[in-house]
Amino acid sequence: MLPFLVRRLLSAIVTLALATGVVFIAIHLLPGDPVAIMLGDQAGSDPVAVARVRAQLGLDLPLGTQFTHWAGALAHGDLGVSLRTGEPVVDELMRRIPRSLELIGAGLLVAVLFGVPLGVIAARARGRLAGLAASVLAVAGFSAPVFVLGILLVLVFSLGLGWLPSSGFVPFADDPVQHCLSLVLPALTIGLNFMGVIARMTRASLADVMGRDYVKLARAKGLPRGKAIFRHALPNALVPVIAIVGIRAGNLLGGTVIIEALFDWPGLSSLLVSAAFSRDYPVIQGALLAIFAIFILISLVIDLAQGLVDPRIRRPSA
Amino acid sequence: MIAFLRNRTGGLSVPIALGFLTLVVLAAVFGPALGLLDPYQIDAANLLSSPTAQHWLGTDELGRDLLSRAVYGARVSLTVAAAAVLLAGLLGVTVGVGVAFLGRRAEAAAIRVVDVFVSLPEIFVALVVLAFIGGNLPTLVATIGILYAPQFARVTWGVARGIRAREHVLAASSLGAGNGWIIWHEVLPNMRSIIAVQASFTFSFAMLLEAGLSFLGLGVRPPVPSWGQMVGSLKDYLFTNPWPVLVPALALFFTVLAVNVLGDWLQDVLNPELQQ
Repeated sequence: MLPFLVRRLLSAIVTLALATGVVFIAIHLLPGDPVAIMLGDQAGSDPVAVARVRAQLGLDLPLGTQFTHWAGALAHGDLGVSLRTGEPVVDELMRRIPRSLELIGAGLLVAVLFGVPLGVIAARARGRLAGLAASVLAVAGFSAPVFVLGILLVLVFSLGLGWLPSSGFVPFADDPVQHCLSLVLPALTIGLNFMGVIARMTRASLADVMGRDYVKLARAKGLPRGKAIFRHALPNALVPVIAIVGIRAGNLLGGTVIIEALFDWPGLSSLLVSAAFSRDYPVIQGALLAIFAIFILISLVIDLAQGLVDPRIRRPSA
Repeated sequence: MIAFLRNRTGGLSVPIALGFLTLVVLAAVFGPALGLLDPYQIDAANLLSSPTAQHWLGTDELGRDLLSRAVYGARVSLTVAAAAVLLAGLLGVTVGVGVAFLGRRAEAAAIRVVDVFVSLPEIFVALVVLAFIGGNLPTLVATIGILYAPQFARVTWGVARGIRAREHVLAASSLGAGNGWIIWHEVLPNMRSIIAVQASFTFSFAMLLEAGLSFLGLGVRPPVPSWGQMVGSLKDYLFTNPWPVLVPALALFFTVLAVNVLGDWLQDVLNPELQQ
């Protein structure tokens, strides 16, 4: 297990470093001067003032030097300060990372709680109405753009029933109940969207496992169908389901961009969007780094979970 | 025809999806000739209205006709998606097939780079690029097309490698056929179905990405409508009248659903051995 872990960790670090380097170079090559935006229309048109601020921020140095400085500071846990607010980027990230993780975690929970049973129904009741309904529900959840799903949920649960707040964020320390209530709709939106992916995989994988010899044997020796599914087939069928969570982790994270905007959830994605609009380089880099790190962390956890469940994956040749 | 379209699991879903998509495409293509109201005409007396005799699908926050804006929005959404798929396909297939004919070392290195890009969530890169450059049709197409090219490369690389190792291709190669000849006469004709399926999935991804970006205000500039952008601005009036936002939202939803249903069907028909 240990060499497998080390190998995965190393490859995760290489991926993160590669992604960070590409992002750093790309955003500096894109047109648009943050200093001109910072200074506003009047001072922004004065070349002397712009040059002075650029020098202060180190933006006049060659790109390679800027990257070395940034990477060097990063090694000391320093991501620079926001060009807009002057606040350390790390502080802002530390505030927002838990909120984004909370949203993703709650969404994933919803997706699994709804997706796996739906997949089982779709596989068991193949060709019957319940199976068809489950399949349709899965494709619908997966095809609905996240904001459409979110708006429909707001219409039903906020506007229609008045049970839940339509948007906003309340810190847990201020009011735990309101905090959890404000989490429900964003998490449901992410979860119901991702549910389709999980349900489809569960159905396909279960159908495959049900045809294997050991399940046929279990049935042949007289085990009821339900028991054969839940005791023998489902645990094995879940291995590819765990894998698909890792493969589609990008969709899960990408969904938060829309969700955070729709529900005013102050996480990493909304930080990235506002920083991108004002070309706040340090914040953009910091937010992207944090998002990629979360993404790689999810893939890593998924790989480890698979390695734990299925020993065959741990071998280097597999 | 209907019987042929009826697949094992979907029943009538394939013909319905095909019919709906045909309708949307026809509306988008012939939109200006349909005699609709001007999609930019502001009607201050009818803000955020539900369907009326004059405005069949209601109006938006400036009183503009939602039916004609939805039809013009379809033009933007479908054009961006189609052009992005074309670009992603051209780039991706070129890279994917090219990589399969590189030497072993270079092949491994190149596919590792492609893998990094396949796994990165596209929307984060796209939103930074568009916030910097500004949203317009060519930038949207280029950004979305480039971001989905690695997926095409990944898929076609695998298939090209398989075809290259087949006996009759090895025989052709040992008889002196060059790589160019093999790619043109053996590899590309044999991966048409894979490319078609990948294109159909990429089409729905591209539509969703464009809609998401436009929803955030990063797509085409107002007043030009796109479905995502209409949802983005109308969602603020949800509590005034929930009807208007549903028009572009459901148009987008049903179109993507139809594309996905057809994609699944295409997958079943063209590559029955590839059941996931």
